[in-house]
Amino acid sequence: MQTTKFEQVNETVYNETLPNGLQVYLVPKQGFSKTYAVFTTRYGSIDSHFRTRNGEEINVPDGIAHFLEHKMFEKKDRDVMHEFSKNGASCNAFTSFNRTAYLFSCTDKLDDNLNLLLDYVQEPYFTDASVEKEKGIIGQEITMYDDNPDWKVYMNLLKAMYKDYPINIEIAGTIETISHITKEYLYQCYETFYHPANMLLLVVGSFEPEAIMKLIRDNQSSKEFSPAPQITRLFPTEQPEPAQAKIEASLAVGLPKCMIGIKEREQGLTKEALLKRDLTTKLLLDIAFGTSSAVYERLYDSELITESFDFDYSSEQDYAYTIMGGDTPDPEKLVQTIQAEIEQLKQKGIDQDDFERAKRKKIGNFLRSLNSVEFIANQFTSFKFNGNDLFTVVPTLESITREDVEKRLHEHFVDGQMAVSIVRSASPQE
Amino acid sequence: MEKGDRAMAANITDIAFQSTQIHGMNVHILPTGKFKTTTIMTMIEQALSEETVTKTALLAMVMKRASARFPETKLLRAHLDFLYGAIFDVDVTKKGERQILQIYMEVPNEKYLSKEDSLLEQAIQFVGDMLTRPHVENGAFLEKYVAQEKETLRKRVESLIDDKMKYANQRITEEMCKGEPFSLLIQGRVKDLPAITGQELYTYFKQITTTNPINMFVVGDVAPKEVEQAIQKHIPLERSQVGALEISQAAVKVADEREVIDRLDVNQAKLNIGCRTHITYIDEDYPALLLYNGVLGGFPHSKLFVNVREKESLAYYAVSRLESHKGIMMIMSGIDVNKYQRAVEIIKQQMDSMRQGKISEEEMSQTRATLSNQFRELLDSARGMIEFTYNGLVSGRKRRLDELLKGIETTTIEDIKKVAEKVEIDTIYLLRDKKGEA
Repeated sequence: MQTTKFEQVNETVYNETLPNGLQVYLVPKQGFSKTYAVFTTRYGSIDSHFRTRNGEEINVPDGIAHFLEHKMFEKKDRDVMHEFSKNGASCNAFTSFNRTAYLFSCTDKLDDNLNLLLDYVQEPYFTDASVEKEKGIIGQEITMYDDNPDWKVYMNLLKAMYKDYPINIEIAGTIETISHITKEYLYQCYETFYHPANMLLLVVGSFEPEAIMKLIRDNQSSKEFSPAPQITRLFPTEQPEPAQAKIEASLAVGLPKCMIGIKEREQGLTKEALLKRDLTTKLLLDIAFGTSSAVYERLYDSELITESFDFDYSSEQDYAYTIMGGDTPDPEKLVQTIQAEIEQLKQKGIDQDDFERAKRKKIGNFLRSLNSVEFIANQFTSFKFNGNDLFTVVPTLESITREDVEKRLHEHFVDGQMAVSIVRSASPQE
Repeated sequence: MEKGDRAMAANITDIAFQSTQIHGMNVHILPTGKFKTTTIMTMIEQALSEETVTKTALLAMVMKRASARFPETKLLRAHLDFLYGAIFDVDVTKKGERQILQIYMEVPNEKYLSKEDSLLEQAIQFVGDMLTRPHVENGAFLEKYVAQEKETLRKRVESLIDDKMKYANQRITEEMCKGEPFSLLIQGRVKDLPAITGQELYTYFKQITTTNPINMFVVGDVAPKEVEQAIQKHIPLERSQVGALEISQAAVKVADEREVIDRLDVNQAKLNIGCRTHITYIDEDYPALLLYNGVLGGFPHSKLFVNVREKESLAYYAVSRLESHKGIMMIMSGIDVNKYQRAVEIIKQQMDSMRQGKISEEEMSQTRATLSNQFRELLDSARGMIEFTYNGLVSGRKRRLDELLKGIETTTIEDIKKVAEKVEIDTIYLLRDKKGEA
């Protein structure tokens, strides 16, 4: 077991890679009552075209990773959620573009809960009847998202930005695509992506690291796994420019919603370079559009934005983008104004005081996040999947200079990379 | 680092604030080394009423725009960033027939920062700015900020429709509690906005900071003496007689079960069933009510989830939630509109089972364990511990955490049956699409 100390944030990480390939990370938090464990596979909604174990190339129905996540909870002779409830734990799972995570939090019976988590995720049980039944439940989940204007405006923006890369596909699929899901497909996906070597287990909270690592080792060594398969994901080549400049939809909303996306041209960054670009862009966005920026003040005073205005930068090896926006009475004018503000900022450059202020804010916000075991667990895993350490955020932030942000300003905001998504009511007064 | 390590060694098993009075406010301090930040939360309590609901909501928004020290919003926010991204917000929440104006402030603990500023004192000073040194001209809040925040509040109220679950919840509350203050939307009423002036709002601010009950909570790796001194120095409120508020507590009997149907451009229908439990936070059978709600619809092992979702696959979610100060239980589900009658039927069957005491030992042990877990998890959140303690203060029935946990352990199926006999369906509400027959 390896030990890594991060003095500045006063956290220690223990880790080990087991013989079957599973990566295990433990982050004990002194004084906490609860423990949170998350077992994650590098498999999400974008992984719908790949080679199976025997080398055959297949396309699976959209939404299958999420469907599989639902079906993992059902077993032949027991119900996983009920087992967790008996131990007082609350369990959950989620599927994103590139991962599926199974998790629980508890204040008691950690050993039982951890064994339960490892066992149920490593014991698939799918039947024709249960697959059919799930289509009704997930169908209602999809319909619920169809009525959610914030989700709609976001998904549509991804569709506008990405022409071929599958983050333009709904994570849960559509009622039509999930109708094609069978138990055979589920087993194929499971066998390809749920090998321990493709997974990471993270436990954060109140426990003794040696004892917990032993429990995990014992659990895994008692099971047999075939050798880790070579995973070949097949992705289309994505054009650097957005697929379309503008996309619109109608739903019952109070005010129109408008999101602006900036698609990153450069791809393929990993590890430290990816993290540094990520944090530099986030600083840039805060300096440009944060609540204490001159731009925010002008937009708010002219009533073009409301308190819902927000922005974020997401980045992975294969895709990265900025999204910003919120509710606005006049989407077209908001887009024009933001474009003009970006041009002005490029003329003016980044002010040293603004830069220092944004940096302090980011460092403080990060420290605050470390109060939450949920934040640590989920973020730590994403960081690891990209080859980074969550606890290096503060030193990385400290290493970023004003010049780095200014360079990013000219690199990120280039012409032709913008796309816009709007949702309005069909009739003005609902 | 030393101070923190000592505090960490003493593992907290209960929520033990040290309480004192400063400048007529109740101040509650909890020193603990487990967080990397210090949280300061101030609650001003007001009776929920048509006359004041909009004023309180608007005041919360105007307060956070400026102070005498930072007369412009941009300066104020820049200062917060300078305090290492201090989180600062003022908003309103509902607790039964009460409206609570809360000022939230959170700053990093300086021991994690390379630069040694005293962030704690600066944070308390900032809260003091809000409570005692607002930005005022000629005895009025600035008209510019008042006008802008009226607009923001109006948009916030009108955007309620964006979230169909919240919208359905507010609509059924309005219908079910017509004539009771509880029916009011916590953000107030758009129609009240035009008449409110900066002067009136300032007078109202003076009034509630002078006479309404104020509780201030501080959680973090702090020395209580230093906190008290900083409050003494930076928050010199001049308080007069703080009277108890008049809170309406009329017991409402359900005459007939009512049905309300709204139509909107939606794909999924939202079914809400509003119930009166006739039990609130202050009652002896409150722990039994928690168990009742837990067995019925609080968890993934509960009757609603198992029967509405797992057995019939009618819905993605089917849950019940308590409003503990008002004694209302809300059942919520998202369904296909064609399954409306079937869903109502199954939900009523589950409530019947509860009345008949058809609860298995397994359901009991699962619910006890998950409920206890939920309450113990509060110990890991500054906000959670503050909320728990404040619920006791505001209702007048203080419960220790271990007392509540013991109540959960000792509640029997017979106790739950008694709760079930009190629970009445008041209103069945459906938010549905515009197609199909009425």
